[in-house]
Amino acid sequence: MAKKKGDEKVNQTPQSDNEEQNFDEEPDFDDPEGFVDDIPDEELLADILEQKPKESDGYENVIVVDGCPQVGPERLEKLQSVINKIFSKFGKIVNEYYPTTENGVTTGYIFLEYNNPQNAAEAVKATNNCKLDKQHTFLVNLFTDFKKYSEIPKEWEPPSPQPFKVQSDLQWYLMDPDCYDQFLVGIGTGVALQVWQNALPEPVLLQERPNWTETYAVWSPLGTYLATFHWRGVALWAGPKFSQFQKFSHPEARFISFSPCENYIVTFSPSSDRGNDDKKLIIWDIRTGQEKRSFPPPDEYVTWPIFRWSKDDRFFARLGPDMLSVYETPGFGLLDKKSIKIPGIRDFSWSPTDNVLAYWVAEDKDVPARVTLLELPNRTETRSKNLFSVADCKIHWQKSGDYLCVKVDRYSKVKKDKNEIKYSGMYYNFEIFHMREKEIPVDSVEIKEPIQAFAWEPVGSKFSIIHGDPANICISFYQVNTGQAPTLLKKFERKPFNHLFWSPMGQFMVLANLGLTGGALEFLDTNDFTIMNVSHHYQMSGIEWDPTGRYVVTGVSSLKCKMDCGYYIWSFQGKILRRVMKEGFAQFHWRPRPPTLLSEKQQKEIKKNLKKYYSQFESKDRMRSSKASKELVAKRTEQMKKHVEYREAKTQEWNEQKPRRLELRNYVDTDGLDTDQSNTVEEVVEFFVKEEQTVIE
Amino acid sequence: MKPLMLQGHERAITQIKYNREGDLLFSAAKDSKPNVWWSLNGERLGTFNGHGGVVWCLDVDWQTINLITGGGDSSCRLWDLETGKNIATIKTNSSVRTCNFSFSAYQAAYTTDKAMGHPCEVFIIDTRTIDDSISTQSPILKWEITDSKVTSMVWGTLDETIITGHETGDLIQWDLRTGKKVHSIKEHTHQINDMQLSRDGTMFITASKDQTAKLFDTSSLELLKEYKTERPVNSAALSPILDHVVLGGGQDAMEVTTTSTRQGKFDARFFHLVFEEEFGRVKGHFGPINSLAFHPDGKSYASGGEDGYVRVQSFDQSYFDYTFDYNRD
Repeated sequence: MAKKKGDEKVNQTPQSDNEEQNFDEEPDFDDPEGFVDDIPDEELLADILEQKPKESDGYENVIVVDGCPQVGPERLEKLQSVINKIFSKFGKIVNEYYPTTENGVTTGYIFLEYNNPQNAAEAVKATNNCKLDKQHTFLVNLFTDFKKYSEIPKEWEPPSPQPFKVQSDLQWYLMDPDCYDQFLVGIGTGVALQVWQNALPEPVLLQERPNWTETYAVWSPLGTYLATFHWRGVALWAGPKFSQFQKFSHPEARFISFSPCENYIVTFSPSSDRGNDDKKLIIWDIRTGQEKRSFPPPDEYVTWPIFRWSKDDRFFARLGPDMLSVYETPGFGLLDKKSIKIPGIRDFSWSPTDNVLAYWVAEDKDVPARVTLLELPNRTETRSKNLFSVADCKIHWQKSGDYLCVKVDRYSKVKKDKNEIKYSGMYYNFEIFHMREKEIPVDSVEIKEPIQAFAWEPVGSKFSIIHGDPANICISFYQVNTGQAPTLLKKFERKPFNHLFWSPMGQFMVLANLGLTGGALEFLDTNDFTIMNVSHHYQMSGIEWDPTGRYVVTGVSSLKCKMDCGYYIWSFQGKILRRVMKEGFAQFHWRPRPPTLLSEKQQKEIKKNLKKYYSQFESKDRMRSSKASKELVAKRTEQMKKHVEYREAKTQEWNEQKPRRLELRNYVDTDGLDTDQSNTVEEVVEFFVKEEQTVIE
Repeated sequence: MKPLMLQGHERAITQIKYNREGDLLFSAAKDSKPNVWWSLNGERLGTFNGHGGVVWCLDVDWQTINLITGGGDSSCRLWDLETGKNIATIKTNSSVRTCNFSFSAYQAAYTTDKAMGHPCEVFIIDTRTIDDSISTQSPILKWEITDSKVTSMVWGTLDETIITGHETGDLIQWDLRTGKKVHSIKEHTHQINDMQLSRDGTMFITASKDQTAKLFDTSSLELLKEYKTERPVNSAALSPILDHVVLGGGQDAMEVTTTSTRQGKFDARFFHLVFEEEFGRVKGHFGPINSLAFHPDGKSYASGGEDGYVRVQSFDQSYFDYTFDYNRD
């Protein structure tokens, strides 16, 4: 048909010559003698030819499955059914071919054709490197790949160098000459985010963006990045302009956790209605943005973070049923290729300073509960302690890694109902592991009352416990000693507190009563246990120390309470510095700082010479505040000037109206309180003051 | 100095006012009997018996001859102050929310609530001779307000205008010769609870549920200043001698029972008129403050609260000594 059309067109010229003469006659469609069709199809029908079926069409639907068992004709049917069962999961197989050798034995590779390329690609993705049995592993490729791989040029061409992109300074926030800290304020659920610098005399807004996040925002552990949440994934922002540093595409990711050195980020999307990909848990490299490994979602509800990292990002571990899976970076495979079997493991925690983790194992019939310290990667158990009558354990590492405390909830009676286990006669032990001493000795402190809170002094050797009945809440402070049991330093009784917050630098702490009925605050110096200040912030829902231990912030979040949302900034001694009331205030986070680079000796040196520095800072502060007060005075002066002008004009107007006023009030001058002298009548009014009865002798 | 506690009401105070000389203090409450007190020592001089329900508002004329009150019993009453007798009663269709004598006291204005199928209305009546005939006389002027209820009202200077504050936050100035709107502004987002004139009447301050109080020019309704708090403001008053403003309010009466007094923020709060900065607070009430008034000599002030008490507080010397830093030349 197409050909004919072309012929017609060619014939038109000779036809028109005879048109007039042969009007009624049928035109001659035949090619004139000797005609050569010299117009190629490509020129005439380029558009149609494009759709012309090619021999290679459908190649992308074909996959090559290598590594299949080699079978004779008698077992071919069996093989076919197995292969069909596995591969028809990805789509309809329209064609299959099992090549055989001369004697009828299959060659071990087969060709399968699917309906469409998507199914083929899926099958390759899912079955490549899958084990069929012990001896056979599928090696699956797309048929088209062969062409791709065979056409690799012999000569290697070096890739052209990428233009250098200037990275903004990620550490800029640490370079502030005045060492001001930054903080993040979130308004509503994703309504706006603000980043402030806690400057003197008042904080400065560095950045404010509406809808910066869809839910909330968090800092990375060293403070380099700000992470925001979006329906498509998670974004990281950094540098002085808070420009986008990296984004991780993970739809509906709701939870994230950073590795301690900020090399990796784990994202977790708990919702399950996202198609067939089961990547619910993904680990990414922060700097490159590459996906490092993904995991299927956890089977049941687990506490976040699912992966817990060792302090140097070298390992990360996850709790499984009766086992602990430790993975290694940068390979992201299981350490020694297998999980550690620990029957009955309930919880674990990494030391904040060493590649050691502590885990505990629940009681099982006659086997007591056990707390074990495990060193990695060599898997040596450095210490293990058996515990009896254990209901629950909580592992608390001291921030400097010098001590470990395991809070043990113990029972004196246990009653087993069908599915429930009821404990009664609870008492509590604090098992203190001295990590830095030989053979790690363990001390124990026993408290018979319910425990509200426990916290280590981040630097130093003290710990504090809130305990007691609701009617009599006590706060106890203990000192950990070498070679003897911890000693009770101080006990405060009848205090209304349910939370305690140590300064990140140790020594100072804030005691607080959080919640809707709370608000009480006490600022404590634990060197001599003086209460530096007692104050309150009603219905406060959270407290956060700044990373340097100079400031404390208390806040009432709109997520907890509708009234009086906002935050107060206090000095560490409990002096109120600033009250910020903000409708919709939802979250407050100080920007973290990396650990100090100064050695302990240098820090001591600074503390010793504090007086020298003190005067410098003092004068600097004074200058700043006097500048601020000058500005305030100038502002007030301006306001007053304006007001005086306004009043002068008004007073003049008022004076002009005086005749009219007099007229309205019978010509009595009432302009001043005492101007109406003529009408003043002195009146004596007697008041009853008191009655006294005296007996006269 | 220790405040005087005036205990004479059984229910929440609605409005308090001093007379021009400041020797008497009048108080109205949700019980039906307005009181009059000696402001000097807080002794009660008498009560005005006659209303059958809540008394929302009261005003005293410049000569302290008559008192006008309005209440929830749909009546506006005029009283003789010398005898305490109810000399005239005007029946209305609904509650009387505001009532005020004009500067000359030749006239008085009152407004009624939009309720029971009746619209909110403004009435101007002739009060040159007050006797029983007022009850039957038709008002000099009356007009309906269709869009929003009037919740507070003051007279402009020289008996020429009145200014109404509305539940929507609107402020409207009316010309009494024509009964027409002169100015209409909306600077508040919620109900205006109270309006009070400065001593010379050239400025007035509004107190609004939107947690602010604002200062306006009486003739142009120009916004001059704003004072911000974290609670609804029920009343605001201007000092007659200093550039000071006092604000009172607190959490809504409805929610008060669920919160502690410390949290309800029932303090009277003092602001500088020009700098809009808060410089002092006076505690005392254990419910919101509903009405505030400065003594005409500026040396004391009174507050009436939801708790039913009127507190008269004299200022200490430190109040008068306190100054703000600014260049005075």
